[in-house]
Amino acid sequence: MNETVLSLKQRFALSRFIHGEKPVKGALTLNQRRIFILPTRQGGGFIVLILLLLLIALTYNNNLIYLLAFMLASVFFITILHTYQSLAGLVIKPLQTQAAFAGEKAGFGFNIQNPSDQARFDIQLKLETETLLDIPPHHHEKVLLFKSANKRGVLQAGTLTVSSCYPLGLFRAWSPLRFKLEALVYPAPAAVFSAFPESEGFEGENGQSKKGGDDFYGLQQYQPGDPIRQIHWKSYAKGQGLFSKHYGGNAVADLWLDYAQTLGHDVEQRLSHLCRWLIEAEKAGLRYGLILPNQKIPCRSGPEHQRACLEALALF
Amino acid sequence: MLIALGLITLPHSQHLPLPLFLFFVVLWTWRFIAIWKPEWLPGKITVFLLMLAAIGLLYSQHQGVLGRAGGTSLFVVALGLKLLEIRGTRDIYLIVFLGFIVAATEFLYQQNIVMAIYIVLVCIFLLATLITINGLHAKISPTLKKAGIIVLQAMPIAAIIFVLFPRIEAPHFKWLDAEKNQVTGLSDTLEPGAISELGLSPELVFRVKFDGDIPPPDERYWRGPVFTYTDGKRWRESPNRFFKRYMDTPRFKGKAYHYTLLMEPQNKPWVFALEMPAHFEAPLQRNSFYQLITTKDPTQRAEYKITSYTHFNTGYLTKTELKDTLQLPGKPSERIVKLVKQLGGFDLKPEQFIANLFNYFRQENFFYTLMPKKMENKPIETFLFERRYGFCSHYATAFVYLMRVADIPARVIGGYQGGELNEAGNFLEVRQANAHAWAEVWLHDKGWSRFDPTTAIAPERVEQTLDIEQQIATRTLTIVTPEVLHQSMDWLKQAKQVLGSVDYSWQRWIINYNRTSQQGIFKHLGIKDLKTIIYWLLVLVGTVTLILARFILKNKAQPVDPAVKLYRQFCQKIPDVTLNPGEAPYRFAARCRQAHPKQAETIDRIIQLFVKIRYYPNSPKETLEQLKKQVDHFSCT
Repeated sequence: MNETVLSLKQRFALSRFIHGEKPVKGALTLNQRRIFILPTRQGGGFIVLILLLLLIALTYNNNLIYLLAFMLASVFFITILHTYQSLAGLVIKPLQTQAAFAGEKAGFGFNIQNPSDQARFDIQLKLETETLLDIPPHHHEKVLLFKSANKRGVLQAGTLTVSSCYPLGLFRAWSPLRFKLEALVYPAPAAVFSAFPESEGFEGENGQSKKGGDDFYGLQQYQPGDPIRQIHWKSYAKGQGLFSKHYGGNAVADLWLDYAQTLGHDVEQRLSHLCRWLIEAEKAGLRYGLILPNQKIPCRSGPEHQRACLEALALF
Repeated sequence: MLIALGLITLPHSQHLPLPLFLFFVVLWTWRFIAIWKPEWLPGKITVFLLMLAAIGLLYSQHQGVLGRAGGTSLFVVALGLKLLEIRGTRDIYLIVFLGFIVAATEFLYQQNIVMAIYIVLVCIFLLATLITINGLHAKISPTLKKAGIIVLQAMPIAAIIFVLFPRIEAPHFKWLDAEKNQVTGLSDTLEPGAISELGLSPELVFRVKFDGDIPPPDERYWRGPVFTYTDGKRWRESPNRFFKRYMDTPRFKGKAYHYTLLMEPQNKPWVFALEMPAHFEAPLQRNSFYQLITTKDPTQRAEYKITSYTHFNTGYLTKTELKDTLQLPGKPSERIVKLVKQLGGFDLKPEQFIANLFNYFRQENFFYTLMPKKMENKPIETFLFERRYGFCSHYATAFVYLMRVADIPARVIGGYQGGELNEAGNFLEVRQANAHAWAEVWLHDKGWSRFDPTTAIAPERVEQTLDIEQQIATRTLTIVTPEVLHQSMDWLKQAKQVLGSVDYSWQRWIINYNRTSQQGIFKHLGIKDLKTIIYWLLVLVGTVTLILARFILKNKAQPVDPAVKLYRQFCQKIPDVTLNPGEAPYRFAARCRQAHPKQAETIDRIIQLFVKIRYYPNSPKETLEQLKKQVDHFSCT
């Protein structure tokens, strides 16, 4: 799966050892092509130990010390196979991603499956954060790793490094993997909250105070997207069904968050403001819509809607 | 881990200076307690002070850290100190590595097979420690198992490297010279009158493997030092060891015995060859007394190939020999002259005189004992006329003395006599308790001829196998006839012989494997230079690795569930509808039903059976048979 034939030059390209091959979409199986092994610092120490033993054996002409040194050398050698084995055959599949605001960390989900009969120990997965796990035979584990999102837009997962030093820590086997896995990065919300813009039909009044008005209009059948705080819990408790309280002026309470009305010098600042507004509006339980130069999202409310708006900002 | 380290250091208690060993034990115990009371661990200053104390101790005990004992102590103490400051995995690695070195130094003192197995086990413990730090699981038995597997897999490769790794004759560093081992053995003087109890030890002196027949017990005389000079009490070797004889070889007759002699460490360069050695190789030399001497360090175990003949004629007598072998400490007493005269020493032929003397020993009240009384004043006279209890040396010295009085050249030969056949390995084991002394007389047409006066008084001592254990236990000479010996070969004895045989092979092939034996193997393989060695190494190690890789890396072919097999068969039987990868059976069934509405019922039944077997554990076996029947009968046409 997901295998292409590599030319010799590609095969020995340095980037393959560090960054991995071209990103792929589906699951990847770790095999000899993707697993690399080098001795660790402890492995180097082990070599020094073997040399020291050989020196002792030579000076004292002691065959048993020779034998011990050779045995440790063979152990060293065999460990290459064992370390390789600790990664070989694992199947890594990309899962969903978690969007983040710029400056925070976006999450990337992976599923790591051990299809073999042997348990795998000490598997380290590293993106920017890392995690260690043991995987029993025929099991799979889900991990969520994070990567700093510095820029608004689409964040590539980059190189996921799966590695293991099991069993003796003398060698480290690693496999750099790249998936076509991307997380959205929303603009960072502006630190300063500027007042909501005035939109048509808002009649110069501040949305904040308008919303707070007691102009109770009546109950309506609950519709998905209605703010939770407007749910008429009393009737729900009586078993009459779910109703939302609707306030007077609801029809005009639609808040249009317009790109053109934001403060700021450049696109990013404006988007930051819009982002802050979106968050505040959702918090306040308002119905709001988004107007971008290339897109218009009609007024609604609720987490789904918020996400749609944020995505629009991220991809703008 | 701590236990492993404790185990490693334990055998060192035998030869490390006590204060150093106690120092380690204290540190180790400290660390052990600290597992439960981490706050008891010493701070930086304490560790520093302990280090100073350790350096002081090292210097007071060894005056330095070079050499075998000093180096060993250094590593042991360093290990103990390091135990007290474990901070990260790096420290643990360092400790484990130190542990390996301490384990290796153990081999500088003891090289027997038990120690080797012990060290391998301890190494498994150490590797298990490494596994524990690298795996997240802390269970002991699986890590030990894993470490054991790794060591087991490493063994064949280790063996290959062991055989092929070029051995260089080690440069001899004076300062690294091992202290002389305390080895007991024959002494270079003989003073039977001063011994009241013969020290008998079952310690092995050498082992002999014959290429063909083994000589009969009464011909198993292993020649050692020759005592010619006497002051009346003590017998010594003649200082002239390399006179004319040195170049001569006796004329040999009869059967040639080819054998390999494996000498245990000795403090003298004597090599005990079967009388008479005819052919031998360097580093062996023969002195004028037909004794073999090695020019190499006798404290190292060594193996020699020798050919001997039990029948020989040494020919003429040199002047030095004549002078040396007639030497007497002053005039013999009247009693002795009278005895010699009585036995015909002055008028009869030497052979006749010897026969008379043997008869004399036999007929008079002479006894063989291993616990004679001390005879410090005039030992020979006291022995001949008063005590009459003695062991081989008494008889041999008295015999030679009487010969010399009768003007017949004679000398005392020291060495070993006999040897027990190890039936498991088909070789002779000669022990300290086999030590013996006999006499040699020069006769006109025969040259130097062996006479063993002990045979006159205790012929069994020579003709049959000495039961050493019995002898040591009861302090009496216990002889067993071969038949009895065979019957008494109970399992204990057999086990002992098998062990002895294993040990023999161990010594011969592992401990004693050296440049010479390596070259023998290389000749066999046609290896001539370093290049071919490397080539062989690579090919052999590569082959073993491939085999191991197959073994380690093989993904055990997952046993295909018979139900799944049947299901796949079924899927192939349906035309036009192919199973998508990862498609659930019910979904597939739905598509099949659409494509083949006529078969809908059968399809449903099959799918249901399959799902039942596959996803509900413990479904009865009949269900599988049912499924098989259904699938076999199924057809879309």
